[in-house]
Amino acid sequence: MAGKVKWVTDIEKSVLINNFEKRGWVQVTENEDWNFYWMSVQTIRNVFSVETGYRLSDDQIVNHFPNHYELTRKDLMVKNIKRYRKELEKEGSPLAEKDENGKYLYLDFVPVTYMLPADYNLFVEEFRKSPSSTWIMKPCGKAQGKGIFLINKLSQIKKWSRDSKTSSFVSQSTKEAYVISLYINNPLLIGGRKFDLRLYVLVSTYRPLRCYMYKLGFCRFCTVKYTPSTSELDNMFVHLTNVAIQKHGEDYNHIHGGKWTVSNLRLYLESTRGREVTSKLFDEIHWIIVQSLKAVAVNASPSLTSSTANDRILKYNLINDTLNIAVPNGEIPDCKWNKSPPKEVLGNYEILYDEELAQGDGADRELRSRSGQSLGPKAGRSRDSGRTVLTTWK
Amino acid sequence: MLQEESDISLIIAQIVQKLKGSNLYAQLERQAWASLQRPEIKLESLKEDIKEFFKISGWEKKLQNAVYSELSVFPLPSHPAAPPEHLKEPLVYMRKAQGSWEKRILKSLNSMCTELSIPLARKRPVGEQKELLNKWNEMGTDEPDLSLFRPVYAPKDFLEVLINLRNPNYENGDSLSFRTHLGLIQVPLKVKDIPELKECFVELGLNTGQLGIDDSTQVPPELFENEHVRIGQKVLAEQDSAAAQQYIRQGSPTALRAELWALILNISSQPEDILYYEQLKTNVIQHDLLVDSLIYKDVKLTASNDDYYFVFEDYLYQVLLCFSRDTSVLNHFAYNSASPPKSYIRGKLGLEEYAVFYPPNGVIPFHGFSMYVAPLCFLYHEPSKLYQIFREMYVRFFFRLHSISSHPSGIVSLCLLFETLLQTYLPQLFYHLREIGAQPLRISFKWMVRAFSGYLATDQLLLLWDRILGYNSLEILAVLAAAVFAFRAVNLMEVTSLAAAEAVLADLSTLKVMPLLQIFLFATVT
Repeated sequence: MAGKVKWVTDIEKSVLINNFEKRGWVQVTENEDWNFYWMSVQTIRNVFSVETGYRLSDDQIVNHFPNHYELTRKDLMVKNIKRYRKELEKEGSPLAEKDENGKYLYLDFVPVTYMLPADYNLFVEEFRKSPSSTWIMKPCGKAQGKGIFLINKLSQIKKWSRDSKTSSFVSQSTKEAYVISLYINNPLLIGGRKFDLRLYVLVSTYRPLRCYMYKLGFCRFCTVKYTPSTSELDNMFVHLTNVAIQKHGEDYNHIHGGKWTVSNLRLYLESTRGREVTSKLFDEIHWIIVQSLKAVAVNASPSLTSSTANDRILKYNLINDTLNIAVPNGEIPDCKWNKSPPKEVLGNYEILYDEELAQGDGADRELRSRSGQSLGPKAGRSRDSGRTVLTTWK
Repeated sequence: MLQEESDISLIIAQIVQKLKGSNLYAQLERQAWASLQRPEIKLESLKEDIKEFFKISGWEKKLQNAVYSELSVFPLPSHPAAPPEHLKEPLVYMRKAQGSWEKRILKSLNSMCTELSIPLARKRPVGEQKELLNKWNEMGTDEPDLSLFRPVYAPKDFLEVLINLRNPNYENGDSLSFRTHLGLIQVPLKVKDIPELKECFVELGLNTGQLGIDDSTQVPPELFENEHVRIGQKVLAEQDSAAAQQYIRQGSPTALRAELWALILNISSQPEDILYYEQLKTNVIQHDLLVDSLIYKDVKLTASNDDYYFVFEDYLYQVLLCFSRDTSVLNHFAYNSASPPKSYIRGKLGLEEYAVFYPPNGVIPFHGFSMYVAPLCFLYHEPSKLYQIFREMYVRFFFRLHSISSHPSGIVSLCLLFETLLQTYLPQLFYHLREIGAQPLRISFKWMVRAFSGYLATDQLLLLWDRILGYNSLEILAVLAAAVFAFRAVNLMEVTSLAAAEAVLADLSTLKVMPLLQIFLFATVT
């Protein structure tokens, strides 16, 4: 048998290391010949920065695409989506269709957003159109809910005005930049609480786009009941769902960490709202993901810190399935690999989008039956009923 | 022939009597009066015309559902001269045992009350009332000091009582024979064996489609699921309780479940019902009961820590606090072997005019009680509807899981059924577990008392409760418990202690309920 895969990592997490060891892979240092390097975000930046001019050889794989921060950084993400939409419009693609109010029919998945301080004036114009609205400020380069706050008065973001005299200390470097978006203040609540979705998506190749969604994503709940009242704007426990923030709330419960699996969410929504609405919701979520990926490159590291025992198990299995897809059969990586992995290795991943297959001949239906893929039992079948809404993948 | 006829007329008379006081009766009367305006109602054929009108307008269906509901819930009188205690529980020794158990519970409650110097009930001062009203939707954030409260009892205390149940008329001799029951329950109740269960649960057979099996991703939906959903929708359109009950034996589609359960339980949210719930809420605001603290404690200890149900913590308070004050629940004691605890106004001990039921609904919650409500939160998010459904589930099914009776769905029968199934069909396993001091019932008891809530994944639990509704019986809980043991038999044969056996059976969250049941009942060589 060919040599064992040689791995390196600069993240000391057991969910990773246990997975490598159980495959019998060999640990090496980064200066030696390696096949698989699970890099931290910092390392990626160094490795792929223009100065170092590092190039991967044909038998090396890393866990991030070089331009991953195009999706991580909120300002780049927004830029990319806006650019993507314009491109599609120029091409005359039906995806870029708009309704009579100028709203995109199929690509309207980002709320009105501006970059600060660059778009400050544009923002003010928009703000004045609906002065009672709430907006959310998010620092471009931070994660885990750090630095986020809500505003409903222009005075609260005076610092970012370009003309402001105080802007002299606000450096124009991207570190201090923020995005400001219209805050959606009627979110879906469960048990009166706001929640968000943490979904894991693996992108194995960009061209053609091949991405997988982990079936076991989860929702994170706020510990405090949601209220749109303005007096609670400062209460981050009401509005933000990041575990890092919720962990410090008084009510945070360490046994379950305020999470539900996505399948629980689905069960609840189907039971209380019906099958069609729920399927549509999940279809649209998948659609957004694929479109975002198409617009841009891939996200930085998900948190590998486990907050509960269940969490640890989830992440271990997640990495396991990820490795099975990325490095099939434990073979030494080869950049010429281009086949789709067989269904058996997917584990808890489902094919989200496979460009090659999507562009093959025949209708969607035929493709699915030929390759045995589906996006989840209900989503797949609902498309069989012949809906022509553009939630298909072509 | 004559006997049957008089039986039926007795039953009819009873049901008519019951329904006469109901809201439906008033509505039907109103409808009948209003129908006189209609052109098709003629004086000569008044009775037939009105009947026809009822049929077309769907009111007959509603009446049918109500009658069906009564038949399902109330036991039929076996003999016109049978005294009311017999309706509660025909066997004297069972009644006596239940009576002593109740005395113990009440004693425990009263002593807690005295120790903590907390009154059983008190009126809230106005300020406190206002505060509670404001916090009604987030009582979970309240952090009252509950450290001094203990649950009145836990399932394992109840199990000890059941283990010591004896029928004084039963002599099984000193010598052990193959007929000796090796389990913990030592009363001779009749339970079904597998051939009888197969007959009873025929719709769970291998040749019948099931949700929970035949809707998995590998099975094309055209084979069963699509048609089943279509039929479900039709049943709902017809609003037929009996049909719904039959239908749901094969499981309910997720999207239809909330409505189907409401139809089977004959719950429709009328304005009166919402008003009634609001009234209960007002009672909660105005008066504080000692049991409220017990409820808080229970929710905090169980549902709040559950992976699925923690989200609904606040709903649980809203339901359970109202439930304690709902005196309409007292009606179910007519057929429950239990009786509501009686308390006396201070200083008037023994004087019947000063007797009150405590808590007002007569039900003292025990450790894990809130788990009966939690799964329902996945189906209903409107508080008064959720409340009604829970109340009906309680007075139809759940009460049997913590009162001592000879009813086939009572917990005693379920325990005996479980043990008998195990001993008969898995004798080697049963014997081994007994030898190592791990009587199987000690492990499965808590599953059955809670109807598996909190032990199974929610979707599986709902599929199980579908069948409870469909068959109007809790026996399926005992069958499932036995099926779980059968499934883990290989591992269990290797353990050498009770703790190890508990560990093997600690996590049921990955189990698929319907395949287990099907295999155990229909695919095991007996």
